[in-house]
Amino acid sequence: MNTSPTGREPDGPAHAEEGRPELAGLLASVARGDQAAFESVYDQLAGPVYGLVRKVLRDPAQSEEVAQEVMLDVWRTASRFDAGRGSAVAWVMTIAHRRAVDRVRSESASTQREQKLAPGPVSGDDVAELVETALDRQRVRRCLGALTSLQAEAVKLAYYGGYTYPQVAELLGVALGTVKTRIRDGLIRLRDCMGVTQ
Amino acid sequence: MNGRGHDLHLLTGAYAADALTGAELAEFERHLARCPSCADEVRELRETAARLGMATAIAPPPGMREQVLAAAARTRQLPPPARKLSALGGPRRGTRLRRALPRPLTAVALAGMAAAIVILAVFQVSTQHQLDKAQAGNRAVAAVLAAPDARIQTGTASVGGTVTAVVSARDAEAVITTAGMPAPPGTRVYQLWVLSAAGARSAGLMRAGEGGPTSPVLASGVQPGDRLGITIEPAGGSRQPTSTPVALIPVR
Repeated sequence: MNTSPTGREPDGPAHAEEGRPELAGLLASVARGDQAAFESVYDQLAGPVYGLVRKVLRDPAQSEEVAQEVMLDVWRTASRFDAGRGSAVAWVMTIAHRRAVDRVRSESASTQREQKLAPGPVSGDDVAELVETALDRQRVRRCLGALTSLQAEAVKLAYYGGYTYPQVAELLGVALGTVKTRIRDGLIRLRDCMGVTQ
Repeated sequence: MNGRGHDLHLLTGAYAADALTGAELAEFERHLARCPSCADEVRELRETAARLGMATAIAPPPGMREQVLAAAARTRQLPPPARKLSALGGPRRGTRLRRALPRPLTAVALAGMAAAIVILAVFQVSTQHQLDKAQAGNRAVAAVLAAPDARIQTGTASVGGTVTAVVSARDAEAVITTAGMPAPPGTRVYQLWVLSAAGARSAGLMRAGEGGPTSPVLASGVQPGDRLGITIEPAGGSRQPTSTPVALIPVR
């Protein structure tokens, strides 16, 4: 995804998730071993899962491997999803992000003793973005564009870049405490901008 | 790193973005367990982060769907957590009455159980892949310890010290603690694995050491015939074991 804000775009009806109200119910069916339900969950979320993992890992082959692990985790641990504690989308995306970040950190731990921080560009995927999530994308761009540049950079490096917040501090050349609050403030402003109520 | 008192609250964002590691992560999770407002904020920021994630959606590779569905078809699923079972109105009474422990709890076993429960007080969640961990970690461990079929298995580590596993076959879960094991060399860490015919699956890092007990680690999807193994791994842990286990406990 190109992360630079694209200015004014039609926001459309902000109901990306409401179009998939049955996801939590589907997960309950998956927990009972319903493979058809799992196929529906896969069809709804494999794109976002693969996209996020690839955003963090970059490497297509590794990303596919990790995305498969994530979807299999969804199948295996569906009984642990608790709708009272958050949305199904957040549950799955949290698994995906953790898995991707775990992969990054176990690799950097085993391959580089003193890792050199190389801030690659957090964009430039030459892959097909999904039409279904165009509204999500527009809204995220618009809301990221409303942050201060330090907030936006900190959030993007942490979430899309998979960096720890001390690494983010080093990359941005600011104090640890500053990054800590910028990530939080940035996410809070994104929450308000995107109308997250859960 | 300065992470004291109300300062910890500021880590909700970094936590929701999975940007915390190591001791600070453990410290924040302990804080989270007794700070409902932090937990609420984490939940909201996680939902927010998920929106950022959704926006990255791209078409997955064409062969992936078939592979995942085929893998799912041959993968056993985890049972619901124990607390959900009891919430259904105690349907397991019969089982509970017959609670056939393999042998009467000996004094040694009881002592082990007591030690595990005492360690709960300072429980630090360390299973990275466990989603529920922050909120449910303590409860999940308590559930295993309280499971009617919980049984204790102990083993000796080749580096010295003992390993205690409390296993519930019903919940397919195990809680593992160690005592008396020396701290791993340098920045290395102890990592717990569930070893089965399908290979090795990480159950997370085992924090602390230095001859003291490690925090309990919850291993899920543990089946009879599996083995629980502890290896020494580079800081941060490994995806697959890279050394010979210093302890192996067969799950019966």
